[in-house]
Amino acid sequence: MNTGLPRMTSMLDWVARLENVTGKLQALACTTETQVRSVAKVFEDMAGHTSTILKTAAALVGCVEKENIAAVMPKVQILGAAARRFIGDRLQASAGILKTVDTEVNLLQQLSVVSRNQEAIAVQIKALSVLTNIEVAHLGAVGAGFQYLANELADFSRAVLSDTRELTNHAENRRHAIEETRRVLSAELPRQREQLARIEADLGTALKLVDSGLSELSRTPAQFKVCVEDVARQIAGVVAAIQAHDITRQQIEHVQAAFALIAARMRTAEDPGKDPEKKDASELSQAYAGLTIQVYQLRTIEGTVASWAAQIRTCMNGILTVSTSEVVGIGPAVLEQEREVSSQLARIELLEGESQAYSARIERNLGGLSNLMELVTEHVQRSKSIRDRLRLLTFNSIIEASRLGTQANAILAIAKCIKEVASEWNGITDQSANAMERIATLVTETSGAMKMFSGAGSETLREAQAQTSAALDNLRNVAAAAAGHAQEMKLATDKMQSKAGEVKNSGDVLHASFGNLDEVLCEVEFVQQHLESHQPGLKHRYDATAVERMFSGSYTTELERQVLRAALAGTALPPPPTFAGNSVELF
Amino acid sequence: MKRILTVDDSASVRQMVCFTLRSKGYELVEAVDGKDGIGKASAAKFDLIITDLNMPNMDGIEMIATVRKLAGCAFIPILMLTTESQAEKKDAGRRAGATGWIVKPFNADQLVAVVQKLVK
Repeated sequence: MNTGLPRMTSMLDWVARLENVTGKLQALACTTETQVRSVAKVFEDMAGHTSTILKTAAALVGCVEKENIAAVMPKVQILGAAARRFIGDRLQASAGILKTVDTEVNLLQQLSVVSRNQEAIAVQIKALSVLTNIEVAHLGAVGAGFQYLANELADFSRAVLSDTRELTNHAENRRHAIEETRRVLSAELPRQREQLARIEADLGTALKLVDSGLSELSRTPAQFKVCVEDVARQIAGVVAAIQAHDITRQQIEHVQAAFALIAARMRTAEDPGKDPEKKDASELSQAYAGLTIQVYQLRTIEGTVASWAAQIRTCMNGILTVSTSEVVGIGPAVLEQEREVSSQLARIELLEGESQAYSARIERNLGGLSNLMELVTEHVQRSKSIRDRLRLLTFNSIIEASRLGTQANAILAIAKCIKEVASEWNGITDQSANAMERIATLVTETSGAMKMFSGAGSETLREAQAQTSAALDNLRNVAAAAAGHAQEMKLATDKMQSKAGEVKNSGDVLHASFGNLDEVLCEVEFVQQHLESHQPGLKHRYDATAVERMFSGSYTTELERQVLRAALAGTALPPPPTFAGNSVELF
Repeated sequence: MKRILTVDDSASVRQMVCFTLRSKGYELVEAVDGKDGIGKASAAKFDLIITDLNMPNMDGIEMIATVRKLAGCAFIPILMLTTESQAEKKDAGRRAGATGWIVKPFNADQLVAVVQKLVK
């Protein structure tokens, strides 16, 4: 019968083939033991790097959480709001000061008119004094009593002139100061508006940057840690896979032992000294069943090895996809953003300093208003006194002139003039008093505007500055720590990834070594096919219990027993050992 | 530092046990079979012994029974780390004086947890 298979001349040739594959399995076991140890060593190194990365990542994540980085943003926002309010209040206060300054300019113009009128009256009084002197000389001894009137008028004239000049000078100085203040304020208001707009825009941009940087700082290290934890889990899987080699090694040893038993059965079947009919059939059917079991065992080993290879590949892919670029970039990026916010903080501080100096200057300029009020008050008092004296003089002059009769008509005319002047003076004095009252109101208004200007939001701003400064210090420290940790992680990741090539090589060599199992399987299946063609129906004639007893005695793993049962039942192979770890039982 | 003796004829398994536990701060000593294990256990003090069951020269059960008779070793926790999971084998281990049973392949976290529990 032509089976299409090479012709086997004797059972001993098949036995020799089995002995040959046993030798191959022995070599495979020795080789792979060394290779597995080599893979294990590389993974041990990689696990060390993973552990370093995880510790560093945990430190970084802990640092970000501990320093409550999320709190930085509200503080910077408060600072932005305080700076805006500060400048806004200053703008409002400046507008208020400008209004009081405008009022004061009007007031000074009114005072100037009052002063001019008073000077004109002083000239009139002087003229009346001269006329009175002339008339006193004309009257001779009779008019001696009017000399007092002439002297008084001369004194009034001098006093009024001196007083009004002083007031005029003061008002003039004041006008200069006011004009400077107006000039400064007029220039300052647009500048402040511009600064407000710029700070609004810059702070808005900085806030957006910080917001994105902070969320990255909170997210990236945690994500990186999760990624590395995944690698650590895969490495743990490889640790389990490496142990599975111990199961495989035992399986190979037991397959080798089984081949020896099967070879013995085949030799017995060839022994001519025994009953060839019965013995040959029993021994060969047990040998055939034994070969079926070994094929199952070898296929299970192949499955287990494929699982290791897959575990190692998954782990390698995981390691190679670990990227430190984001985590390395985040620290410097946040430091850059922090510098931007810090520069805004410095600008706000500068603005606040400028504002204080500007405030002091305006305060100096406007501070003279109360002096002016004092001067006007004194002036009004003196004017009232002069008015009263003029009234008295007028009254006395009229009485005295009336007593002298017609010879004192001129004096009487002078007295009437004095009466008119006194009346006019009275009006001017009222104007002065009115100006004084308005100055008093203005002093209060200016003082309020200055207070608002000087104190506008300063306290809130300073508090916000201090809090933001502290928050930025924290952020800087965290970002610097992140940058440092990230470098450490990058170094360890680079080392770990550089090992990946080594693992891949070792894994490939290991996988290739187990590739020899195919050759062994071909040989065994070849022998099986020839046994069957030698003794048709052989595979149905064995005693399953006897076969199980014959081969399972040496088994040391549950997997081998499951495989044996599957082989005898002709069912599917059991799954390869799990790398997730088995249960732990404490007695 | 707590000392642990790991006994296994598989070098790669010993390597994995050592690597897993050294990373947690334990000091590990290796023995290649039961006989070697007894020699090392009698020469120095250990806080825990982790042993395989099936080994050449002397198996794990016999080694445990012998170690229990050594001076100062009666109460050392001994874990069996083996591919075997048959109930009769576990019973034999318990009778010999094993403290616990772990089936290979072990999960690193589980091994660390049980070692931490036994070695205080």
